[in-house]
Amino acid sequence: MPYLTMSGVRKRFGGVVALDGASFAAERGEVHALLGANGSGKSTLSKVLTGVVAPDEGRIEIDGQEVRIRGPQDTRKYRIAAVYQELSLIPQLTGMENILLAYEPANSLGFIDRKGLERAVLEVAARFEQALGRRIDLHRPVETLSPGDQQLIEAYKALARQPEILILDEATASLRQAEVEALFQVVRELRDKGALIIFISHRFQEVFALCDRATVLRNGQTVGTVDLAGVTEKDLVDMMVGRGAVSEVREAPTPPRDDVVLRVRGLCGPRLQGVSFELRAGEVLGLGGLQGQGQSELLRVLFGAEQASAGEIEVAGRRVVFRHPRDAVRHGLALVPGNRAREGLMLGRPILENLTIASMHRRRRGPGFLSARREKEAADGAVRSLGIKIGHLSGPASTLSGGNQQKIVVGKWLLNKPRIILMDDPTKGVDVGAKAELYRFIRELTQEGVSVILNSSENMELLGLSHRVLVMYEGAIADVLEGDDLNENRLVAAAMRVGRPA
Amino acid sequence: MAGSVLQTANRGLWRSVWDRFRVPAWVSYVLLAAAVGVNASLQPYFFTLYNIQSNLNTFVPLVAAAVGQTLIILGGGIDLSLGAIITLVDVVVVTLMEGSIERVPLALAAGLLVGGLCGLANGVLAAYVRLQPIVATFATSFIWSGLALWIMPRPGGSVPRAFYRGYRDVFLGIPVAAWIILGIIVLWLILKRHRVTRYILAVGGDERAAYATGVPVAKAKVASYVLGGLFAALAGIGIVANTASGDPYVGGPITLTSITAVVIGGTRLSGGAGGAGGSIAGAMILSLVGNIVFFANVGSYYQELINGAIVVAALALAGIPSLRRRSL
Repeated sequence: MPYLTMSGVRKRFGGVVALDGASFAAERGEVHALLGANGSGKSTLSKVLTGVVAPDEGRIEIDGQEVRIRGPQDTRKYRIAAVYQELSLIPQLTGMENILLAYEPANSLGFIDRKGLERAVLEVAARFEQALGRRIDLHRPVETLSPGDQQLIEAYKALARQPEILILDEATASLRQAEVEALFQVVRELRDKGALIIFISHRFQEVFALCDRATVLRNGQTVGTVDLAGVTEKDLVDMMVGRGAVSEVREAPTPPRDDVVLRVRGLCGPRLQGVSFELRAGEVLGLGGLQGQGQSELLRVLFGAEQASAGEIEVAGRRVVFRHPRDAVRHGLALVPGNRAREGLMLGRPILENLTIASMHRRRRGPGFLSARREKEAADGAVRSLGIKIGHLSGPASTLSGGNQQKIVVGKWLLNKPRIILMDDPTKGVDVGAKAELYRFIRELTQEGVSVILNSSENMELLGLSHRVLVMYEGAIADVLEGDDLNENRLVAAAMRVGRPA
Repeated sequence: MAGSVLQTANRGLWRSVWDRFRVPAWVSYVLLAAAVGVNASLQPYFFTLYNIQSNLNTFVPLVAAAVGQTLIILGGGIDLSLGAIITLVDVVVVTLMEGSIERVPLALAAGLLVGGLCGLANGVLAAYVRLQPIVATFATSFIWSGLALWIMPRPGGSVPRAFYRGYRDVFLGIPVAAWIILGIIVLWLILKRHRVTRYILAVGGDERAAYATGVPVAKAKVASYVLGGLFAALAGIGIVANTASGDPYVGGPITLTSITAVVIGGTRLSGGAGGAGGSIAGAMILSLVGNIVFFANVGSYYQELINGAIVVAALALAGIPSLRRRSL
């Protein structure tokens, strides 16, 4: 009887199925890896266990007893703790205050036993400091610490909760090698004392170094559990992708023209480390890899929404520096953001305004006046050419379906006649029919010589649309796939850096 | 066009502007010193016991209200009904006293209960019904004001002499009002050691992280409003003692002044950082400014204008360093 068993776990987020009857079982005294490609559901499954996500269905047993975890506050009872990639620290509180937050030793009136708190925290810190060989200042607000130190405080925090089940969700992402070693040492000590550690990481090297067994998820379902001693990285990739998965037959895209419309050299910036590439007219350039490897940041820097710290950008052969998205728009760029509701639409405003706002300056009459008739003509044109299903142009954008909303976001930029369209996961939460139309539309655009940089978390989408795919890994381009290499196995293998030193 | 591009460019422009609304501690202290200095130069008898005492008597309500508002703002909320709660407590206390000293304990207990209940209602609306605090408390402010007018339609009532004389007395050479302010500071220091304040700070700092950590988020929010209501009740009782009568309009202006005190006291308007110490300094600054306006003979209507100017100046000072760093 395994110590922890999860079975039949289902979770839907709106129309997206994150977990489709996933199961998981693990023993005390092991480090168990949870693996899967983008969107396979591994993070969701771990969040079900920590009470952050409430599953629609599913059964959890700990030590043979069925348990109900209704929220993070219940994890205390079952001794479950997690180190998250997105930190769960309160930025303004100190390390001392964060580490035992909600677990503070207190008297019966609720006053915090400050000496007891300090003792407990220092005890945990000491275990790390030995391995780490240095000390982190626990009396400073954590927002003033380096990302690595914050990540370590996050680990202290999980350890201080004396977990029987510890989840490490991409917990090594911002740690240096020596810090990773220190964390692993502490984790192994914990394992030897009989705790169960669930390890989620995109670094195969770390998985093999630390873990005993691995469970692989695919599309929200559990593929299987393997002993890591008996498998290779390639075997794991096959499990993640699906054995014998054949790429769908691709419609041969129109070959791009030769003229380079965008050239990027040595671009560094927020989460970017020396990105260089060229984009040709009429080309669809895919950005692949695991999520969060700098793809969105690259698009934001190209659009002038964030500043590069080094590197050069050339548009149509001329060196440019975009300090503001306005500058990028002037040079014929457009960004279709991933989060429509927040970045792409004014949901409460009429469809007409949403469509025309990015290109109003083109139809301006006199000092800032607009002709209502011309605005309406422009919007009507966009609605027709994109096949947007709307009730009336004056209805608010919030009344449209996800797919039609996304078309509005695309449409508003088309009225500006862009030459380069940056798309950041444009089909997230969009239904199948609208996806197909968006794909058709991307192809039409490229036939007219418009170039597209497409970041997508959906591998099939990337493979189906792109002429080339840049595979990103930790802020750099790890691989460029084209021609016969454009298949899912190669894409996932490249994303996980199989057969390469990480 | 600008609207959309800005939206595209920034994950939360509003949030980032809000975040910058934090006045550094030194600004509050410089302002306090300046206010004391100007006061002293305008008022020849500023440092006499009588004057200090009468000043402090009028400071107590705002100090208490500012501490209450601080707790709510630290938790990521705001209470626009604080002044109305003060009014309601004021009229309840005066009505229950009926001019009899025996009834004072009952009246004060009822006042605190009313303050706590109003805070509870605000907290439940903000934390469980999930209304925007700014909207919810704006709405409840009309309820509290309405109740106050219903209980006492016109200013009046009678407060036992011993009660208001005691308030204006001197104890061990120090004015009673100063003891009360000291007591409020001690209350804050005690609260700071309590779990609930830590949770309020955590929720105001990052609600999602606090939730994922297992902090009882909704309870912490409700607690912040209840504590805020209790401090508002203290303010209301202070007004009763200082004015020796009830007034169904007395608390109104205190709402915005209390928020102003919190802001110039260095608490971040979006919550999570700051403390009551600064707000108490802020409350004193604003009260002293009131004096300055009075003694400089410029008419009390300028008080609002000057308060506003102080807030803008303090926020601008706070914003200057981050303006340069701003990358949009």
